[in-house]
Amino acid sequence: MNGVRLQKTPSKASRWGRTLGEWPAALFFLLPTVAVLGTFNFYPALYSLYLSLFEWNGLSPTREFVGLANYARLLASGEFWNSLRVTLLYAGGVTLLALALGLGVAVLLNQPIRGQAVYRVLYFLPVITPTVASGVVWKYLFDPTQGVVNRGLAGVGLEGPSWLSDPSWALAAVVVVGVWKRVGFNMVVYLAALQGIPRAYYEAAQLDGAGPWQQFRHITLPLLAPTTFFLVVTALIDAFQVFDLVYVMTSGGPLGGTDVLGYYLYRQGFRYSELGFASAVAYVMFALIFAVTVAQFRLTRGGGQGEG
Amino acid sequence: MKAHWLKVIATTAVALLSLGTAQKLTFWHYWDGTNGQVLQGLIERYQKEHPGVTIEAVFVPGGELLTKLQTAITARQTPTMAISDLVAMPLLTRSGALAPLDDHIRQSNLNLADYFPGPLVYGLYQGKRYSLPVSASNLGLFWNKNLFRAAGLDPNRPPRNWDELLRYARQIKEKTGKWGLELFTQGGEGTTWQTQVYFWGAGAEFLGANNTAPAFNSAQGVRALQFLVDLVQKEKVAPVAPWGLFGRGEAAMVMDGSWMTQFFPQQVNFELGAAAFPFAPGGRPATNMGGEQIFIFQNADAATAKAAWDFINWFSSTPVQVEWDRGTGFLPVRRSVANDPAYRAWVSNARPLMRPFVDSMAFAKPRPPVARYPQISDVFARYVQEALLGRLSPKEALDRAAQEVTPLLR
Repeated sequence: MNGVRLQKTPSKASRWGRTLGEWPAALFFLLPTVAVLGTFNFYPALYSLYLSLFEWNGLSPTREFVGLANYARLLASGEFWNSLRVTLLYAGGVTLLALALGLGVAVLLNQPIRGQAVYRVLYFLPVITPTVASGVVWKYLFDPTQGVVNRGLAGVGLEGPSWLSDPSWALAAVVVVGVWKRVGFNMVVYLAALQGIPRAYYEAAQLDGAGPWQQFRHITLPLLAPTTFFLVVTALIDAFQVFDLVYVMTSGGPLGGTDVLGYYLYRQGFRYSELGFASAVAYVMFALIFAVTVAQFRLTRGGGQGEG
Repeated sequence: MKAHWLKVIATTAVALLSLGTAQKLTFWHYWDGTNGQVLQGLIERYQKEHPGVTIEAVFVPGGELLTKLQTAITARQTPTMAISDLVAMPLLTRSGALAPLDDHIRQSNLNLADYFPGPLVYGLYQGKRYSLPVSASNLGLFWNKNLFRAAGLDPNRPPRNWDELLRYARQIKEKTGKWGLELFTQGGEGTTWQTQVYFWGAGAEFLGANNTAPAFNSAQGVRALQFLVDLVQKEKVAPVAPWGLFGRGEAAMVMDGSWMTQFFPQQVNFELGAAAFPFAPGGRPATNMGGEQIFIFQNADAATAKAAWDFINWFSSTPVQVEWDRGTGFLPVRRSVANDPAYRAWVSNARPLMRPFVDSMAFAKPRPPVARYPQISDVFARYVQEALLGRLSPKEALDRAAQEVTPLLR
């Protein structure tokens, strides 16, 4: 791609049309991508924005135009705010815990220990395990009487709660699974970043008499900041859209305790056939994720912590 | 020589005629496994008996059928006919995409009075009938005879009313340490449709006449919910826990579906009993009901619609339904099937546990056929859970549920 042509520095004016004659060719090559993305991504996304202005059950021959009423109804709905709260708790919990654990595991596995490769694979396995399968298995593990979790707790004399049926514990249980699935990914990215830190820094610090904690605090952590930023953004975006785990483990229950936005959207659209309202939920979700992403970009640029 | 020519002409004529009348029908359904095989067998026989008619049965997984029908209706690419879970019928009848069946029913002299009243409630919209029931299931009581024995109860005598149910449950808890009764406490429609059986059994209604307002927060409704809350909170004979205790022998009694008469015997290692579900003293026998309905789409031309109806009429006939119910284990939708000697003999010999479920069809009640039923069900279940967890009194929970359900019925 970067052929001879790019060696001439293009002037600002010619940025969009180096020569007018190249446009048809460019369009021709872009056409397949544009057609596929347009048909399967952009058109449905815009259509959904349009639908969010209607009340429609997907079956009735008429759609009632309601303007912004779906959005108003959404903002007035206690279920929506509960769902937003649950989503923020889930996203915050999974992001922070998986970040801390991922870093810890990465630092440990960066040491020359025996069976290092095996540990790395083991920690990464949950990432590639299908979510639905993991959800089903964890559901068994969390079973109040038969599950490994409560049997283990009973072994040390504790009575575990009825995890997935108890409104005060269900979200914590789902977060545990979310973290379990995320740690491996964070670990791999952190490992790569750790190996990019020159040994010389540590050697210099040792000469100056810095202990392991001081080295970690003043060399490792700051140099990992760009990686941490990257992992926070991707984890938040991921966690905001969580659906399958909740669908399999709790169906949003008990009492809305795990009713994350993704599941709330599914309920409205596909169980209640409220397609207009569900589209409004989707756009509110989009706005939230967009805001998080923009804030993140601002922060990385402002922080000046590197590539970001 | 002449005969030979005649033969040729005759065969050509028949071929041409059958070409002219050849009907290709598409039929979307979600019956898988054995049920799908039984359906395919019946369709093949129908095709053999009705040359010129081809029925292409298309399997769509149950969870996707309604979404696929929505897409098909929006795109005007509907099949000739389809089935649906009865809960989705109110949405479908209001779509304007289904063809009314009244004229067909009249012309074929199909006797609707032979149908159980429950399933017939669905598919009616603005005085017209758009669908016919083709299968049913309902809920009843299963009990663990081994645990009954261990608790010193007569293993062959199920509780008949709530007083006995509570007494048995207490005795089981006391003597064996196991739960007396398992409730579905995990929310959603699973909780709602079981709870409705208790409500109806106490004489409460779920929605008022014409289904325009909630009625579950009546005195009888509060009594029914109070009974369930007491089982959990006061008597501690039923837990709030994931479903499956009964199957593992950790609870002695459970309300479950007629389909489990087939699955429980393969899954459990104890002796099973089944009976109609007990009701409140002074109440009435009641159960909830599921099943499928069949319908024809509006955009079929007259000849195709007629051919589809002919198949539905044949499929609905008593002998075919007997065969269908025996093959699939679905409950009869027609009294003539439930009373058919061959069918009854099959139940007694092959599926004795199913007898009380067949008999319960006479008083099986439909869930209200309203378009927003799934939402209403979720709201109701949520407040039932609030009450079971002791966070709201039954009265308060039902009043709040009624408040949230009212706008969904507009």
